[in-house]
Amino acid sequence: MEKLPLGLALDLRKVVPYKTGSWRTLMPVNIMQTPPCTNSCPAGNDIRGFLRVLAEKQDYEEAWHVLTRTNPLPATCGRVCPHPCEAGCNRRDFDTPLAINSAERAVGDYGLEYNLKHKKLISKRKEKVAVVGSGPAGLSCAFHLAKRGFQVKIYEANSEPGGWMRYGIPSYRLPNYILKQEIDKILELGIELECNVKIGVNIPMDHLTQHYNAVFLGLGAQMGTSIKIPGEDAQNVFTGVEFLKLINSGQIVEVGRDFIVVGGGNTAMDCARVAKRLGANVSVFYRRTRVEMPAITAEIDEAMEERIMFRYHTNPLKIITDEDRVVGLLCEQMELKEPDASGRVRPVPIEGSGSVYPADTVIMATGQAVDYDGIEIQKQNDQWISTNENLMTSIDGVFAGGDAVLGLETVAVAIGQGLRAASAIEDYIEGDVESQLAPPPVIYSKDLNTYYYTHEKRFSKKAVSIHTRLKNFREIYPSIDHQDIIKEAERCFSCGLCFYCSNCYMYCPDNAVKISPSTGRYEFDLDFCKGCGLCAKECPCHYIQMTLEK
Amino acid sequence: MNEKAEELNRVEKKDLFASGHRACGGCGQALAARLVHDAAGENTIACVATGCLEVFSSPYPDPSWRIPFLHSLFENPAAVASGVEVAYKALKKGPVNIIAQAGDGSTADIGFQCISGMFERGHNVLYVCYDNEAYMNTGVQRSSFTPYGAWTSTTPMGNKTRKKNLPLIAADHGIPYVATATVDDFKDLQRKVKTALSIEGPKYIHILVPCPLGWGHPGDLTVKICRLAKDTGLFPIFEIIDGKVTNVQKIPVKVPVEEYLKPQGRFRFLFKKGVPTEEVAEIQKIANQNIERFNL
Ligand SMILES: Cc1cc2nc3c(=O)[nH]c(=O)nc-3n(C[C@H](O)[C@H](O)[C@H](O)COP(=O)(O)OP(=O)(O)OC[C@H]3O[C@@H](n4cnc5c(N)ncnc54)[C@H](O)[C@@H]3O)c2cc1C
Ligand SMILES: Cc1ncc(C[n+]2csc(CCOP(=O)(O)OP(=O)(O)O)c2C)c(N)n1
Ligand code: SF4
Ligand code: SF4
Ligand code: SF4
Ligand SMILES: [Mg+2]
Repeated sequence: MEKLPLGLALDLRKVVPYKTGSWRTLMPVNIMQTPPCTNSCPAGNDIRGFLRVLAEKQDYEEAWHVLTRTNPLPATCGRVCPHPCEAGCNRRDFDTPLAINSAERAVGDYGLEYNLKHKKLISKRKEKVAVVGSGPAGLSCAFHLAKRGFQVKIYEANSEPGGWMRYGIPSYRLPNYILKQEIDKILELGIELECNVKIGVNIPMDHLTQHYNAVFLGLGAQMGTSIKIPGEDAQNVFTGVEFLKLINSGQIVEVGRDFIVVGGGNTAMDCARVAKRLGANVSVFYRRTRVEMPAITAEIDEAMEERIMFRYHTNPLKIITDEDRVVGLLCEQMELKEPDASGRVRPVPIEGSGSVYPADTVIMATGQAVDYDGIEIQKQNDQWISTNENLMTSIDGVFAGGDAVLGLETVAVAIGQGLRAASAIEDYIEGDVESQLAPPPVIYSKDLNTYYYTHEKRFSKKAVSIHTRLKNFREIYPSIDHQDIIKEAERCFSCGLCFYCSNCYMYCPDNAVKISPSTGRYEFDLDFCKGCGLCAKECPCHYIQMTLEK
Repeated sequence: MNEKAEELNRVEKKDLFASGHRACGGCGQALAARLVHDAAGENTIACVATGCLEVFSSPYPDPSWRIPFLHSLFENPAAVASGVEVAYKALKKGPVNIIAQAGDGSTADIGFQCISGMFERGHNVLYVCYDNEAYMNTGVQRSSFTPYGAWTSTTPMGNKTRKKNLPLIAADHGIPYVATATVDDFKDLQRKVKTALSIEGPKYIHILVPCPLGWGHPGDLTVKICRLAKDTGLFPIFEIIDGKVTNVQKIPVKVPVEEYLKPQGRFRFLFKKGVPTEEVAEIQKIANQNIERFNL
């Protein structure tokens, strides 16, 4: 035995600690869970991921790459998406949800401003895929396939790509140059685009199935449908999408003074607001009330701000014409009765309530349908394309997604479907069965320890004044300050993933939480952890959970 | 250590009170001891009285101490620390941080006269009391820090006396620094240790340390219980600098004492079928008096 200085019984440097880990019955584990924001984002964006990058590193470039792992159109979605992610955000139970949509826009705009480039995951492979339609579904599918090395060609019937993002959504909500830059970035991955070609009409479907390893149909719902009332063929009666497409193609439409829009959806709101900018006196006629309107709430609010008249309980019966030109709209008043199958109250006409409203233009924004011209495919309810759970249609190797499959949805939904289809197509070509892993469970507010979070004001975007915005088609929300969004990102709870608050590290009475020298992350030293569970209780974001000892 | 780890290692943690000790899971005292010595740093001598801390941290041959450690008797850590301080002076060595430390039993009862002497003689020593409100090491007997109403093995019908207020008694010795703290707010606790050690003369820090075994709560509630003790007003947080009470921690949202009492087994019998008894009202009165007295 080594001789120690007088008085010393033990050389402390040589102590071999007693391993208290053997006492444990419960064991802490790090479990990354899915945050509800991502769970409710139809494009499946890693919201927590990009917000944490902003908060921790103030790095917009990395944030853009995180976001574009799923969504190739962040600047677009940051403007037009109804952001169900925010409704899901756990912070709503604490103060107000994160302004995710504005953050997405700021990051998307940064990518355009600094001309960031998408990166291919895999180098080129020989298999070819044809994508029909360049709406968000088609673009997303093409993007994800090109990143995985496939040779992709998009066929588009219109003269420019973008689907309803290009021809439906007006430029005061989504400027064309923003959309164009985002699409160009997607195409830069080496995707070929051929416009003015309608599959089924100019090129038969067979040609695609023969020459490509797989086909994706992102046909959308191109045709406006109306409710079929007499006088619809008159001049200056349009379907909603028809009208918007004319405007967005740069055509001049003489709308006259009195402009009536029939319908309560987003297309109706867009038509009304466009006509207002063209100087018309605009009213929206809807059979039920504001509550039942399917349009996004913010859209209705903005339309109201812009002094558009709303006439509820009003049902059109007949278009009054004079020498083939519309001059008025005969309507009857409705009263609401018990709900129908869709859960919305059922409007029933009040007898003798008919009256005529003067009109120079009437828009029937009452529905859309898929244009199946030359495309033979199995449908559901004779309406939307039917697919199996892997988005494959009745034709082997032909996949479909977006509005043509789901009915009228949103840009983000179409993007999500494009991604899912790309994975399914990859599996199909490689002969794999479902390579997708199920995402981890969702983490909700009740699992968080919100003691460690502080109340902070939510970022709110500022609109141009009503007066100026009605003068032109310029964007109504000016660009967003980068610093403001960093501050907003700092509000993110980081639900279900460590954000290095150091609570576990500091609170462990046994020093059993260590910093890993290799990763810099906190890790458990199971030699000493007694399993008291203090770290799990005090972890704000529930990244630590106690499990039974194995 | 890589860059990320260095950037993360911003908080004080030096492992001077290392893993391998035999405290119960979730022990507030073990946590407090680690936080205190991490804040004090290597240049520290620990003089520890008999009690849970000493027993669970110092068995031969694998103690948790990575700094010089002296185990005194149950009654005299303050006297031993005084001796160490004088010896250092005589040998013209130092400066060194000397921390005398003990549980509430040692501090409030048997060791009190040594502490009072140390304060009165003006030794440059920090005295830390780990208050778990009973003699835990020997089986949860009542001390004069046991709160009103609490079950201990020697007060099976609930304690009938009130907690002695040692921070004020210490301050009345005219010492320059007194503070109270809990383990939930580690930044505050570590700041107080550093402040104390930067002041010449005797100092006293009183730390509330939940004891899962003696208080009858799961080990994972240790931090939460501390917060409740503060938010009910039962454990006021303040500093006394040169005789003046300052830096009183305001309660953000006042919480009824029931919320503090209910998760703890030692108070469970104060509720009959969930309905609070008179004792609970009495405890609420104590909390209210604290709130008024310290303007919490
Ligand atoms: C006026 C309006 C406003 C909207 N506002 C919003 C909004 O604010 N936010 C939101 O999230 N969503 C909004 N939407 C909905 C959203 O635009 C759609 O859900 C989305 O565009 C659907 O994407 P998709 O790719 O499935 O189809 P589409 O966008 O419809 O694209 C389909 C594309 O396929 C092409 N195509 C079709 N058939 C053929 C063929 N046979 N050969 C070649 N090409 C073909 C079409 O020309 C078109 O370019 C709006 C829709 C409209 C109409
Ligand atoms: C003179 C003397 N009496 C009694 C004891 C037995 N004893 C050892 S520790 C202890 C209780 C310690 O209580 P406290 O100081 O509150 O510390 P805790 O164990 O609660 O942390 C007692 C009574 C002793 N060691 N010496
Ligand atoms: S707080 Fe952050 S991680 Fe949690 S739901 Fe909201 S955005 Fe997502
Ligand atoms: S307590 Fe903090 S540092 Fe520890 S895992 Fe949770 S978030 Fe990360
Ligand atoms: S009995 Fe109490 S003070 Fe002692 S080690 Fe256990 S928890 Fe800590
Ligand atoms: Mg004690």
